[in-house]
Amino acid sequence: MTTSDATANEGELQPSVILTINGLAVNAHKGMTLVEAAWHAGVPRVTSVGCMEGVCGSCRVMLRRGKEVTVGLACQTFVEDGIEAVLLPPASAPQHHYELSDFKDGWDIHARFQDIFPEASRCRHCHGCDNACPKGITVENGVALAVAGRYREAGDAFFECVMCELCDVACPELIAPAHVGLFSRRITAHFHQRPPNLIHRLEELRQDKSGTTQEEKDE
Amino acid sequence: MSNGIPLAEALARYRPDADLGPLPELTDTDTLLNAYHPDHLRGSVVKLAVGANAGDSCQRDLAGLLQSEAFIDEADLAGTPVTDIDVLVIGGGGAGCAAALMAAEKGARVLLATKLRLGDSNTVMAEGGIQAAIEPDDSIQRHIQDTLRGGHHAGDPALVSAMAGDGPDVLRWLIRQGMQFEQTPSGDLHTRRAGGMSAARLVHCRDYTGLEMMRVLREAVIQHRSIEVWEQSPAVELLSNELGQKCVGAVLTSLLDGQLRIVRTRSVILATGGLGRLHLNGFPTSNHLGATGDGLVLAYRIGARLRELDSFQYHPTGLLHPSHLSGKLVTEGVRAAGALLVNGLGRRFIDELLPRDMVCAAILRECSEGRGIRIDDQRVGVWLDTPRLERANPGLLEQQFPNLMTRTRVSGIDPRLEPLLVHPTLHYQNGGAVIDTNGATTVPGLYAVGEVAGGIHGRNRIMGNALLEIISFGRRAGIAATANRDRGPKKVTLEHVNRLRRALTLAGMPMTQRAPQVLPAYAAGGVWNR
Repeated sequence: MTTSDATANEGELQPSVILTINGLAVNAHKGMTLVEAAWHAGVPRVTSVGCMEGVCGSCRVMLRRGKEVTVGLACQTFVEDGIEAVLLPPASAPQHHYELSDFKDGWDIHARFQDIFPEASRCRHCHGCDNACPKGITVENGVALAVAGRYREAGDAFFECVMCELCDVACPELIAPAHVGLFSRRITAHFHQRPPNLIHRLEELRQDKSGTTQEEKDE
Repeated sequence: MSNGIPLAEALARYRPDADLGPLPELTDTDTLLNAYHPDHLRGSVVKLAVGANAGDSCQRDLAGLLQSEAFIDEADLAGTPVTDIDVLVIGGGGAGCAAALMAAEKGARVLLATKLRLGDSNTVMAEGGIQAAIEPDDSIQRHIQDTLRGGHHAGDPALVSAMAGDGPDVLRWLIRQGMQFEQTPSGDLHTRRAGGMSAARLVHCRDYTGLEMMRVLREAVIQHRSIEVWEQSPAVELLSNELGQKCVGAVLTSLLDGQLRIVRTRSVILATGGLGRLHLNGFPTSNHLGATGDGLVLAYRIGARLRELDSFQYHPTGLLHPSHLSGKLVTEGVRAAGALLVNGLGRRFIDELLPRDMVCAAILRECSEGRGIRIDDQRVGVWLDTPRLERANPGLLEQQFPNLMTRTRVSGIDPRLEPLLVHPTLHYQNGGAVIDTNGATTVPGLYAVGEVAGGIHGRNRIMGNALLEIISFGRRAGIAATANRDRGPKKVTLEHVNRLRRALTLAGMPMTQRAPQVLPAYAAGGVWNR
């Protein structure tokens, strides 16, 4: 039987690693993630943890190795000697507002986009967003595609986005790239995804509530 | 469990092109399940002594929580700030967001309170897809039959019919919210056939279906003018009227400041998800950190009837290695795409696309009978033969399962070159609160949707029905909760808590344990004053 406790696999044989989490000295073991290390050491008030497999974007962490400062996800970052980790508070509410139901027509998406995300066209190409993204998304390019009205391609660029919003934090122009990416994806589905097999089944259901196949009708 | 074939020996024997031998015939599924499925472990099930399900079977750890002491008293409510709202949704996963969006669309002012961050849920991790009968050779009727059969005919046919019938419209709604699905070159939604399905019915967004759904719904909720969101705000108790017979609100706490807050409302929608983080029977879990069964505890204490409390789903293919991903899933989609399960002797031992409970029991049988692959005394598993899949379909893993590839890459593992070691992991609560087709529980004013609700999946859920259920019933409950236009609560009390305390005392039960648990013990530093 395997054990479940997050600390059960801490492995007494693994060499120990000394680091700092939220300003507290932590003694962990090699192979632990920062989340496991924080629990292992009883670091208080660690609540920004969700899926522990790198898809929910909650456990945003700022890392300092000497003079180098980076950001990442704590559940995907392994402990290192001397590293200083600070778990970041949840992101504040977004500053860009829209509802898809307000869009009546696909022709005015581009004009609306400029109203909703006016900062997007002011990108200064600092690569802050690219460097911040824990998923290696080409964020800056994605924003540029949206600014050029290429929403499908922009959305594709953000395919692996986990909504950690670290790019939003990194952007000096307050573009909110994560939301630009999601806007691009949503608008593409909302206006352009019209699958014939789904639409045909919906029509069948509208005409005949029973939803049986032809074969079953013949029987 | 120290028997099994040592990892090095098994690896040396492994070949992606080896002859796997004939598939042994499975003669008696009941015997397999009874002997090896964790639900049937001796001593893991007890009878409940008090409450709406007194006399019913219940998993032991869960029974302890259902029959436990509350965290708060009437005294705690004095001076607590009060918020009035039309509809309170507790839980920020897919079900909660769908319910909130639908209630808001119908004109309600909605408060969505969630324990962690909006979107922190099992929804976000769902990889495989969502079921909907949209292919020409498929039908709603077949979807109903597959769901009932997969659940060993323990499901409620009315609920299953409602869900399956909603399927195509759920997809339309999701696309309208801005969710993308994988399409064929001609624009059709791409479908796959997975375990327990009689037709290709699984619609997906590569292996990020849940993430795509969750980030779209999360954004839709954040952007909605009529929905207020409170994050880091777990519910610690529901509130009842003077008679303790109607749900009229909830008491929330805050992980940020420890402050209690009362919410008064006409309708409460519980969308709190499952309980994997209780680690039932000592199993690892695929679930997110907040899945501690809080909703079941709150619903039971206010008098709601629950069902199938002794039935849980253990997903067959949880990762055994690396340890920080212990219990995390390899999606069934990989098996649906053709990956085989192989034991330490290099033999297939089960049809990989049988319902999950049978595949899980078969893996546990291989492990316990010495044909598993052993890392150490505590970790024994079987191979998921991904290199063979890659040989047959070069590029398929990278193209269709980027999530799996990204996760394993972080750990220096390449599933294209080495098979993955897997072991069953606690995945899903099959049962939950008894509901009707509106998601209404047996307690007036209280709705339950998603994993916290029961009756749809019977005693075993088939793949892709969870994502369908949360949207189907989330929307239904959102509409029904908004239709309740009574004048709202006159008085909010903890009468139901007192009632359960009296029952526990009469039954001579100890009241040492408190619930809901909010966070698992190893992360309890996140909770104030405990």
